[in-house]
Amino acid sequence: MNKKIISFPHLGNYYVPISFLLKKVTSFEVKPSPPITKKTVELGSKHSPDFVCIPFKYNLGNFIETLENGANILIQAGGGCRYGYYSEVQEKILRDLGYEFEFINLIDGDHFTVKELFQTFKKLNPKLSFIKFAYYTLLTLLMIRYMDEIDQYIRNNIGFEEVENSFSELQKQMLDDFSKTRSYFGLTHKFLSYRKKFRKLKINKPKDCLKVGIIGELYTSMEPFSSFFLEKELAKMKIQVRRFTNVSYLLYQKKLHRKKMLKYIPEYCKYTIGADGMDNVYRSKYLAMEGYDGIIHIKPFGCTPEIGAIPIIRKVCEDYHMPVIFFSFDSATSDTGIKTRLEAFYDMLKERKDRL
Amino acid sequence: MKGYMGIDIGSISTKGVIIDSSNQIIAKEYIWTKGNPIEAVKELLKKLKTQVQDQDIEIVGIGTTGSARKLIGAMLNASVIKNEITAHAIGTLSLHPDVRTIFEIGGQDSKIILIEDGIVVDYAMNTLCAAGTGAFLSSQAERLGVSVYDFGNIALTSKNPAKIAARCTVFAESDLVHKLQIGYRKEDIIAGLCKSVVSNYLNNVGKGKKIREPIIFQGGVSKNIGVQKAFEEEAGTSVMVDENGHLMGALGVAVLSKKKPITKQFHFSITDDHFETKGIECHKCPNHCEIICVRKNNQLIDFWGNRCSNGSLSK
Amino acid sequence: MNKIKIGIPKALLFYHYGDLWTHFFEELGCDIIISPNTNQEILDYGNKFSVDEACLAMKIYMGHIHYLLDKCDYILVPRIICLKKNEKLCTNFSALYDLVRNTFQKRIIHYNIDVGKKEDEAYAFTTMGLELGFSYRKIIKAYKIAKEKEKIMFERRLSRQKAMIANSKGLKILIASHPYNLYDDFIGKPIIRLLEENHAQIIYSDLYDEKYLEQDVSEISKRNYWTYNKKIMASIHHYQDNVDGIILITAFPCGPDSLSNEMILRKVKIPIINIVVDDSKAEAGLITRIESFIDILEERKGKHYEQENH
Repeated sequence: MNKKIISFPHLGNYYVPISFLLKKVTSFEVKPSPPITKKTVELGSKHSPDFVCIPFKYNLGNFIETLENGANILIQAGGGCRYGYYSEVQEKILRDLGYEFEFINLIDGDHFTVKELFQTFKKLNPKLSFIKFAYYTLLTLLMIRYMDEIDQYIRNNIGFEEVENSFSELQKQMLDDFSKTRSYFGLTHKFLSYRKKFRKLKINKPKDCLKVGIIGELYTSMEPFSSFFLEKELAKMKIQVRRFTNVSYLLYQKKLHRKKMLKYIPEYCKYTIGADGMDNVYRSKYLAMEGYDGIIHIKPFGCTPEIGAIPIIRKVCEDYHMPVIFFSFDSATSDTGIKTRLEAFYDMLKERKDRL
Repeated sequence: MKGYMGIDIGSISTKGVIIDSSNQIIAKEYIWTKGNPIEAVKELLKKLKTQVQDQDIEIVGIGTTGSARKLIGAMLNASVIKNEITAHAIGTLSLHPDVRTIFEIGGQDSKIILIEDGIVVDYAMNTLCAAGTGAFLSSQAERLGVSVYDFGNIALTSKNPAKIAARCTVFAESDLVHKLQIGYRKEDIIAGLCKSVVSNYLNNVGKGKKIREPIIFQGGVSKNIGVQKAFEEEAGTSVMVDENGHLMGALGVAVLSKKKPITKQFHFSITDDHFETKGIECHKCPNHCEIICVRKNNQLIDFWGNRCSNGSLSK
Repeated sequence: MNKIKIGIPKALLFYHYGDLWTHFFEELGCDIIISPNTNQEILDYGNKFSVDEACLAMKIYMGHIHYLLDKCDYILVPRIICLKKNEKLCTNFSALYDLVRNTFQKRIIHYNIDVGKKEDEAYAFTTMGLELGFSYRKIIKAYKIAKEKEKIMFERRLSRQKAMIANSKGLKILIASHPYNLYDDFIGKPIIRLLEENHAQIIYSDLYDEKYLEQDVSEISKRNYWTYNKKIMASIHHYQDNVDGIILITAFPCGPDSLSNEMILRKVKIPIINIVVDDSKAEAGLITRIESFIDILEERKGKHYEQENH
């Protein structure tokens, strides 16, 4: 029998905690999909339905490349919009292409419970005890939280680093170190020491730098390749970036804050819109009230929840005189088009700020 | 006399102007890019040179804009390299300081720019495809056997414009063929095309934008009086077209270059140098960035496209 | 007291709940105005008031709302997120109420169905009726009568279709889509008209008895959770042995359909085409596609006929 190799699609740097968890709770070799390249997107697009949203194409491309790379157990998650139905269609497409593999779906539709997750892993590793599962799941969740917290600091400051690449180099080191975690104590210790190191990195940040909020769909927010490295471009322009969506947000804060968010925007939303639609309306008003200079809204072409939210976001921005720009990513989107629009956005914000 | 040069290299055409310190245009030129920006710019420079031959002009500022702004900026050692949205706004404002809305339809893209108190407050560009832009109109003109320059005047003769679906180039073409076959008059179809370009523009690029007067219409398609009239009908107000409308981008960067003089002296003899670009795929990390290298007389003068330090080349 | 005038847009959920709504409001003694069938003007306004990327059915809906703005006291815009446990509707239906409210300045009457949170249809209609100032008893009665009438109307249409399938010998084609696509003058109707001109018998996917829905769906998909798409899948599975071909209609760029259709296309074994309708009126291409599809079906049917008679 073949050796079992387990794999999963990419989402930013989260391959680190996911690999960590899979290594600890299964007995298989863990191999994340090969990094996303243009070829991944081409492959994915080639075998995807015509106007499905772009994350589907990225994920499918990831799967094909990882299968070619020897993986034979694939993992997919699910979520609040079309994402929840990705898995069945992707499995069917891959089977029709002739691949042989096991397909595991972590989240069924919208709801998932710890018990179901445990049972899923138990199937992969019959010897897995609940204690061990709980220990490593919580440890992984903690790792994600620490990553997200450091990420926030990076976004606030990377545009102003004095030594080029100092932030990304240190981040690479940190992720490498995190993946060797053994215990809660060890992880927390690592986190604290890296936080100190990050704070020591020299920056040259003016008090009145431009501040921009990124809102929109979750995949394009979290997978830099899919937004054409938007945050990197903004850093080059010396802009401080606030982004709300990360895995920590989706796991805990979203549900917790739903009522509070709706209460903050009664004039715009009485109900949720699906996925992060209402959250983004909330964020628009929040960013305007907090004195941010502009909002960048990103989403894949045809993303239904965001399409429902955009007219409302537009209204918020109009009411609060907040500059906003909308990006819609597709496999046909060009790099240069995005850069041109971003540069013009920057010019516009700068001019506005200088006038004040 | 000091002169400032602005060059706008678009996908279809390349435009250049030289202005003096009071923003007066002393030379202007407009040629086709023909898919080769470097050669186009060389040709453009030669033509500009003949226009200023009798005057003693020293070029002290150079700006570039348009889709090949970076490449030509590197080639000419430009001091200002600006995106076309800002460039158009600045250029237009230098001639029409009171303008509030700019409609622009070029060869492959279209944009709308909204201005308040002389600064850009909002803008948008077309997404996805080229339907309803200059390239689209040219190809339809060809299909109809009409010169694209006559399009506007023919459109004006129509009394009953046909309804053409112009949301997508492919659909529009099949619809057009269909309408021809069932016997629509040519002028009605042409007028219909002009109208659909406008409604497509307003529904796509102009969606949700507060359009305020005065309005100016620019870009290659602004030469088409049929489209201008269709805009006026839709907007219910007059829409200006400046005879130099196609030069606004070039003018804008020329104006900007006044604030930021070039560091290296510029000679028109640059047209004799040999320039070459090459895209190489970097394999130093899994990103596989495509790095564009520009060489002048076989010497690397600039490169870009790398997302990390692994991809930086030595000049 | 003047009668309250309720505007009902003839788009989207109208094709699911039109009968229920009209009877309910009639029983309550409201005046009702229903917008006309989609026309060019409605579509143009719909385009004007929607995001470019919104699906065609949504754009049409916004056009209908615009039509009703100055013709009634309230416009009915329901918000439905979940009709059945562990199922969902497209997020457009979650956004609808807030979306309309933020786009137009108009009084809206709405109800909210979220079965997952124990807010079912009866509860939602009661809340809505109370908001309009009617008594509890009157609302319950009106809802019951409306529900009854809705059922009778549906069963009448269903049995007519059943009879047609049993008796007709001609070419039978199932057109499968959301009802708001099937019956809209700018989405499904042009296709239906073409089929009729070519003498095909048409079976509608929404006329389907939901008794065996779960079983029917599971033959095509095990994890689909969109209530309306599940119904389309189930209907396709149910009818596929009784028809010669299937035409799947999608309004560009429908989110749930983009995946759901892929599953259908990969699983259905009889001839099927997927027609994606954009707001362009490019009929030429449509005619060619439909006619050639019918040609294929007739060819196949002819062959089967020959084989059976040998």
